[in-house]
Amino acid sequence: MSSSPPLGAGPAPTQDVRAEMLKGAQAMATPAPPSSERGITSDLSVDEALLLHAAGWEPLDLVVGVAVVSVPVGVWNWGRGAISMASDAHNAAVDQAARLLRGECGKVHGHGVVGVRVEVSVQTHHIDVELVGTAVRPMAGQSGKDARGTDAALASPFVSDLSARDFTLLQRAGWMPVGLAFGASFVYAPRRSAGTAMKQTRQNVELTNYTEAMYSARESAMEKMQHSALEVGGQGVVQVKVTEGPMSFARHAIGFTAWGTAVKLVAEAHQFVQPDMVLPLDDAVITFDAQSLRSAAPGKGRKR
Amino acid sequence: MTEETQSGGGEAEAAPVAAPPILSDLPKDAAHRLEELEHGLFTSDLSVNEFLLVKEAGFHPLGFVMGSSIYHIGIQTRKWGQSQELTKLTEAMYTARELAMNRMEEEAQELGADGVVGVRLDVNYYEWGNDSAEFIAFGTAVKAEDGTSYRNVQGKPFTSDLSGQDFWTLMQTGHVPQGLVMGTCVFHIAHRKLTQALGSMGQNVELPNFTQALYEARELAMTRMQDEATQLQASGIVGVRLEEKSHQWGSHTIEFLALGTAVTKRGGEVTLPKPTTIISLDN
Amino acid sequence: MSDLAGPGSADPFDAAGSAGSPGGLDGDLPEAAVRRLESTTFSSGLSVPDFAACLDLGLEPVALVQGFCVMQWGWYGAGSGFGRGLSPYMGVQQNPGTYSETYRCPHGFVSNEHRSWGQNIEQTWVEDAWTQGYHTSYARMLEEARTLGAHGVIGVVDNVANVADTGTTEFHFLGTAVTVEGGPPPADGVPWSTYLAGQRLTKSIEAGFMPVAVVAALASVRVWAYCMTEYYMDGNMGGWGSNMGPALVEQVSKAHMASRQLARKHVREQLAGDELHGATIDVVTRELSAGDEVIDCTLRGNRMRRFKDFDPVALPRPTVRLS
Repeated sequence: MSSSPPLGAGPAPTQDVRAEMLKGAQAMATPAPPSSERGITSDLSVDEALLLHAAGWEPLDLVVGVAVVSVPVGVWNWGRGAISMASDAHNAAVDQAARLLRGECGKVHGHGVVGVRVEVSVQTHHIDVELVGTAVRPMAGQSGKDARGTDAALASPFVSDLSARDFTLLQRAGWMPVGLAFGASFVYAPRRSAGTAMKQTRQNVELTNYTEAMYSARESAMEKMQHSALEVGGQGVVQVKVTEGPMSFARHAIGFTAWGTAVKLVAEAHQFVQPDMVLPLDDAVITFDAQSLRSAAPGKGRKR
Repeated sequence: MTEETQSGGGEAEAAPVAAPPILSDLPKDAAHRLEELEHGLFTSDLSVNEFLLVKEAGFHPLGFVMGSSIYHIGIQTRKWGQSQELTKLTEAMYTARELAMNRMEEEAQELGADGVVGVRLDVNYYEWGNDSAEFIAFGTAVKAEDGTSYRNVQGKPFTSDLSGQDFWTLMQTGHVPQGLVMGTCVFHIAHRKLTQALGSMGQNVELPNFTQALYEARELAMTRMQDEATQLQASGIVGVRLEEKSHQWGSHTIEFLALGTAVTKRGGEVTLPKPTTIISLDN
Repeated sequence: MSDLAGPGSADPFDAAGSAGSPGGLDGDLPEAAVRRLESTTFSSGLSVPDFAACLDLGLEPVALVQGFCVMQWGWYGAGSGFGRGLSPYMGVQQNPGTYSETYRCPHGFVSNEHRSWGQNIEQTWVEDAWTQGYHTSYARMLEEARTLGAHGVIGVVDNVANVADTGTTEFHFLGTAVTVEGGPPPADGVPWSTYLAGQRLTKSIEAGFMPVAVVAALASVRVWAYCMTEYYMDGNMGGWGSNMGPALVEQVSKAHMASRQLARKHVREQLAGDELHGATIDVVTRELSAGDEVIDCTLRGNRMRRFKDFDPVALPRPTVRLS
């Protein structure tokens, strides 16, 4: 266990918010002097911006990366096994969008992008990927906050879908995000012969070729994700999200994606957070809900 | 999770379910992926909060593990007017989930894990499979950092559907998870005869055959779940959920699934830190 | 209702007779607005916790204020070089300072079927119409607040909706006008405004940020596809049997990037050095045919200004809830 000082140590600020509001109103009473500032734009919420500041970082600019990659005709026609062209197209689109995003981050001298929202749209003939986030950097005079060092950081900014809140938490524990880890794979649903289908009607039986196909595709997406994490020098991937489902325009083709943030331990050892246990006295009616003992949604397990 | 024993007499008890064979042939993509994980890269679907709390509990995530099985559920004939357990369907639902869970455990074992946290069981239906569904189990395999073994009495990594937060809190109380225990029962509810239905129209009246049927079904599911916990020599089950699903069978056939995490008290005196009471002003 | 009409106004439906209303009315608000605003009971769109937090800050709610405007943009190319029936295929240049990019066909021939020329252009006429609608509606909301002597408007909700099948767009603003207890009115009497309310506003003030205004901008980019883009988006790789595999569709990707960058640029022009926080981007893409699309990107956020030296809050304690 580390011996770092407990978070929030020191006397609680006893600000009088009314006095602060008055000060704000007074500031608005006179027209603002002309400013030479560039004007920061950020899509972080108030809470996130304040947390980021508390950790010694600041938002710089809203940055974006969009890529549209075409998928040739005939890719979705029913075949066997993996649909490698679709997987390649998907991965290429994500790579290109991430490259553009890092380019925009570099233009404003950011050390990385947090809170990236990943939007993927797979259409019959093209795959569109949009990444939107906020470029951040350590505040002036606090360059030590980025353990990689300023030059290394500017040369290869990180991209992460962690919220600013999760970023500050991880940082506090001695970890830094290094990049977005992403993997996608597509597969055709396998076919059974009519004879086999008839024979299996009355049996409880595992459909081994289906299982094999779906299993492989899922593992393949995860493997690509791991590979992309290793490529950016990550030691692990957190907050992995897995999606799977048939294409709306070709329901015999199933797509799997797995993505998360690749992270690396930059401190000498993991810094333990030592949380306090709290017992909130409000919302007791909402948090204990008899309904939560039973989930009525058909066909799906309870979502976390 | 292995065999289940019959728990006493009674007309609607199901036949014992045979232990499903554990396949040792995970797809080769899985093998590649697990190898990469063994070389030091970890993956986890834990959120950052959960990741930090798992570390706090003295564990380190090893890798995201999963298992799946696409299972065809055979037709079972049933009497329209009789409430009964559909044992064949029960067996199918149980076996399918077991297959998925076992594969997930196998992946965890391959990584040398002590246990799997955050297990989710999902059932997916695809249009191309009539009466077949895909059963998937996901979770994050973890290992104790101080080298102590936390495997259960069967020598296998524990499984639990506890979140990272619940896992940490549980460990604070001195209990350790043993395994995800489940009991399932697929029950057919008799259709009422027309005369019966007309007879009770407009009245406040208990419907005895419905009551009987649903009561029995739930009890069966819960008893089976408890039996699994007994086999793990657990002292109790936490976080029990009772789910009811009709899947694709229509409204008179319901599957009752009881799920929970079996736990055991690990020896020694435990001092729980005293919680602070707060009133949160955020909404 | 007669006691609600201003002194000297005999006919409640006579707009001209409202000259006696408090604060005077030099905007173009409907008469019903005047009557509502003259009432002495306040109304507010704040939820109970937001209302409590607002009183805590020393803000007194005055009234629910709103602004509304319906716009229709004129013919294609209005106000740009594309007016009067000229088509973009004649290679007309846009107004300087706006985005446009041309693409030329790499193949050697020209035919009716073959789109040898393509362009991405910023549709400034659409942007101008949108800006006019948005700012008119916003100004009307501020006008309502100003007539009440309010200092600011909090909890602003803005809604831009296309009225189906009529080619018009309506802009609607709603907010709660407030006064700062014991505070001075803002410069020029123009109330400040923000999307925030309640706890989030309190936290901003504590951290030293004062809301200035709600800002938004639209960037509309039209893609006129050239042959390569058309083939890519149709799934044909460069035509004539070549089967190259997946390829980056440069024209469309660039148009998408440009729309976001332009929206960000337009917003920055309205900031005058202040900061934009809590921004949201909404993108609507309409595909007209293979490769031809219109990309409308709206960026909205709170313009905030620091009013005191930077004083970050301490990093909060992490906790685990027991239930």
